[in-house]
Amino acid sequence: MIAFTVALGASLATAMLNVMLDVGDKVNRELKTYGANINVIPKEASLLDDLYGVSEGHGVSDRHLRESELGRLKTIFWAFNIVDFTPYLNAEARMSGLDADVRLVGTWFSHREALPTGETLDTGMRNMKSWWSIEGDWLSDGDADAAMVGALLAERAGLSVGDAVALESAGARRELTIKGIFEAGSAEDERVYVPLSVAQEMTGRPGLVSSVEVSALTTPDNELSRRAAQNPKSLSVKEWETWYCTAYVSAICYQIEEVLTDAVAKPIRQVAESEGTILKKTKLLMLLITILSLAGAALGISNLVTAGVMERSREIGLLKALGAGNAPVSWLILMEILITGAVGGAAGYFAGLGFAQIIGRTVFDAAINIKPMVIPLVAILVFLVILTGCVPSIRLLLSLRPAEVLHGR
Amino acid sequence: MTKKSMYFKMITSALIRRRSGMLVALLAVAIGATILSGLVTVYCDIPNQMRQEFRAYGANFILVSATGETLGRDATEAAVACIPASEIIGIAPYRYETVKINEQPFMAAGTDLAEAKKTSPYWFVSGEWPEEDGSVLIGQEVADVIRLPAGSAFTMTGTNPRGEAFSRDFRVSGIVQTGGTEEAFIFLSLADFAALMGDGGFDVVECSISAPQAELEAIAARVTESAEGVAPRLVTRVTRSEGAVLTKLQALVFLVTAVVLLLTMICVATTMMAVVTERRGEIGLKKALGAPDGSIVAEFLGEGLFLGCMGGILGVMLGFGFAQIIGVNVFGRAVHFQTALAPATVVASILVTGLACLIPVRSATEVDPAVVLRGE
Amino acid sequence: MYLLDLQGVSKIYGSVKALYGIDLTVEKGEWLAIMGPSGSGKTTMMNIIGCMDKPSEGKVLLGGVDISAESARSLTAVRREKIGLIFQQFHLINYLTALENVMVAQYYHSMPDEKEALQALDRVGLSDRAKHLPAQLSGGEQQRVCIARALINYPMLVLADEPTGNLDEANEGIVIDIFRKLHDEGITIIVVTHDPEVAEEAQRTVILEHGRIARIVENRK
Repeated sequence: MIAFTVALGASLATAMLNVMLDVGDKVNRELKTYGANINVIPKEASLLDDLYGVSEGHGVSDRHLRESELGRLKTIFWAFNIVDFTPYLNAEARMSGLDADVRLVGTWFSHREALPTGETLDTGMRNMKSWWSIEGDWLSDGDADAAMVGALLAERAGLSVGDAVALESAGARRELTIKGIFEAGSAEDERVYVPLSVAQEMTGRPGLVSSVEVSALTTPDNELSRRAAQNPKSLSVKEWETWYCTAYVSAICYQIEEVLTDAVAKPIRQVAESEGTILKKTKLLMLLITILSLAGAALGISNLVTAGVMERSREIGLLKALGAGNAPVSWLILMEILITGAVGGAAGYFAGLGFAQIIGRTVFDAAINIKPMVIPLVAILVFLVILTGCVPSIRLLLSLRPAEVLHGR
Repeated sequence: MTKKSMYFKMITSALIRRRSGMLVALLAVAIGATILSGLVTVYCDIPNQMRQEFRAYGANFILVSATGETLGRDATEAAVACIPASEIIGIAPYRYETVKINEQPFMAAGTDLAEAKKTSPYWFVSGEWPEEDGSVLIGQEVADVIRLPAGSAFTMTGTNPRGEAFSRDFRVSGIVQTGGTEEAFIFLSLADFAALMGDGGFDVVECSISAPQAELEAIAARVTESAEGVAPRLVTRVTRSEGAVLTKLQALVFLVTAVVLLLTMICVATTMMAVVTERRGEIGLKKALGAPDGSIVAEFLGEGLFLGCMGGILGVMLGFGFAQIIGVNVFGRAVHFQTALAPATVVASILVTGLACLIPVRSATEVDPAVVLRGE
Repeated sequence: MYLLDLQGVSKIYGSVKALYGIDLTVEKGEWLAIMGPSGSGKTTMMNIIGCMDKPSEGKVLLGGVDISAESARSLTAVRREKIGLIFQQFHLINYLTALENVMVAQYYHSMPDEKEALQALDRVGLSDRAKHLPAQLSGGEQQRVCIARALINYPMLVLADEPTGNLDEANEGIVIDIFRKLHDEGITIIVVTHDPEVAEEAQRTVILEHGRIARIVENRK
């Protein structure tokens, strides 16, 4: 009975601890549905140029990043944390049937990038705009004469999927078929999207991009990272190292700026900051649930252990009557229960791994990372629980006179 | 003395006079019930609480003009009236105009700054949020261009929509960093904005509403119906993603709850079994005295029922406390007491305790009394 | 008609034969002792007479009714109605008072009746200890509660398994005195014991050896 209950408790502890330790990583990946959390733009370019067109013409659109350098994003210290990235090339274009200019954007839809490390990476806007609802189809990067238009623009221009539209930019004119109409619920609904190569060709800016959106797994900000974000030079060498080697969004931005020529990487606070908030809350929630359910399990087990020891009052009385000292009697019982507990704990550990994987598979469609650190934690927990269950009851029984115990009083 | 009162006497004596065994069982049931009611309360409250947290992502619902002009005050109020007040986190209306500082053009935004702080909690302001008229927030990009630190004064010039030129002094109260387009704006209070540009409608109204996508869609439908000239739009990036992540989170807590509950209930059952198995001798004796199996089962069930009931009630109280600890520590808010959960917890503890009693009692009654009595 | 009639009773546990073809009759009002060394089949016989076990072969007639073919359920009823059991280890319910322990037997039999239960305790000289828990009673007192409990439903047969096995001499005397009184009242008593002094008190002593009746001794008294 004790072995079984210890096994249950240990499996609970194993499952909860493993899930808890991995939940940050898993939820972080889920939060990637909010899209990019870092925006990379050329130095001295304005973020606003795409909204109200105020700064158009005063030296913004001629600043660019190089498409060929983008692979370097996966060579930074935190390369593993870069989940996706997508370049954009913005231009104004005249669309047939409309008198105002529209925003033409060239991008990767689902691009396979060969990395400097020899690996390949599948990335692109499709991964990063999970909330877009599409009528028709997503473009693929090879569609040289197709485009996607935003729902608002399509409505204004009376376009539907399959229609042909002529776009003219920087003197180049191109006939494109509308392959999809998307609804993004933001300013993008007024834009036309084409593959990056098409936009580069049309605007005569080969190999250039205006901005890059990066989706990275980050650690929530703290005091250190805030100071570093203001000015990395204000940190001491040791602090700087800690900062650089932690996946703070500011550290990743800094590292991106290191590998891309003349680039400024800015955290998109709406995503980065909120991600931190949600992550912190989720982790804290899981931590508290874990602590409280572990406390419950611990109480339950030590309760049963106490009952188990009390049941053996006759045996203890007999041993004492036979002249056994307190210490040997205590050791005998303690060792017995500890061995039972160890067997139960080991069985429970593996059952717990199973539970953790069930949770991981069902909720996140991904295996939960098994942390070896959980083993000593569970072992210590089981040991302590058994000890708290045993010691008071053994002491109590030892304090009774053997005659009384044997007599059943 | 009737048979019934003797029955109660036996049960209560068993509970009261067998202190240690009884305490062990009661504790086990109470722990189980605590975890049950606590976790389920947390689970039920998670969508609510997390939805509030997800408002960190800012506005999820915006109102724009359907006609291409600005939104009138009446239309805006009519639209806002369609949103349940309890779900509103913040509603910030915006007006935009071009202004000039040192002859360079910038975008000025007039808004209710207190509401903007609520709808956009991710804004990072170095300096202070403006509290009096005449102080403004400027975006990081604007600050870089005009090289103004927080606390300094500057002059804003321009022409308003009626063609009148203006020039007014303002103080920089704080600098906004968002990583987005907001960094290129100057944020004024609505009063200041009106003083420069005159009265006018809003370009956009950003709303942060603590509600799931389906409800937002319903609100949008109501707004379209009752507020003429207002086009409500969901910020799908925020609403869809929130829905997706929240579903995952809830599934996570659901599974965790299920696993913890399953294990805890088994744990409670084993403890109850241990406690009952200890009393095999008593069962054998009662059988030897000629007690029919039915009465023995009824006596133990009676005890189990009582234990389950007491433990359940204890657990409901402790469990709510435990949920409250989580609520206060994680979300900084009190959790709702789920009224239906209290009886459910008690019933569940009674069921588990009763079942856990029944198994060992059944097996004990099947054994020959002689064997049980001799087996001591 | 005999109160108890065993006809060719055998009991086999797996490959071990505990009792071989026992024939024994007991008259109403008789006081019988069953004696024998350990392993002679005393306990098995006591269990069969006490309706806690069934013979593998042979017949057991209690009050003229064959109980050897009864189901476990009706055996329980027979125990309740016709037999009063007294144990070596007393077997009192430790969370009930002396009085309540007596009343438990009434409860299973018919109706708990406090007055009658008190009278039963009075008969064994324990009316002043009625509200005590078993743990507060001496061994002798506990055994007397056990006797009171066995008598409360006016059983056809009182069956005692080593009733003095756990008692000192003084208490043994008290218990035997009670048995004598019961015998005088005409109650049929069967005592299983290995103490010759206790056995001598009975009218007849059946001596078991290796699962058979070795001899039957008439005690003169």
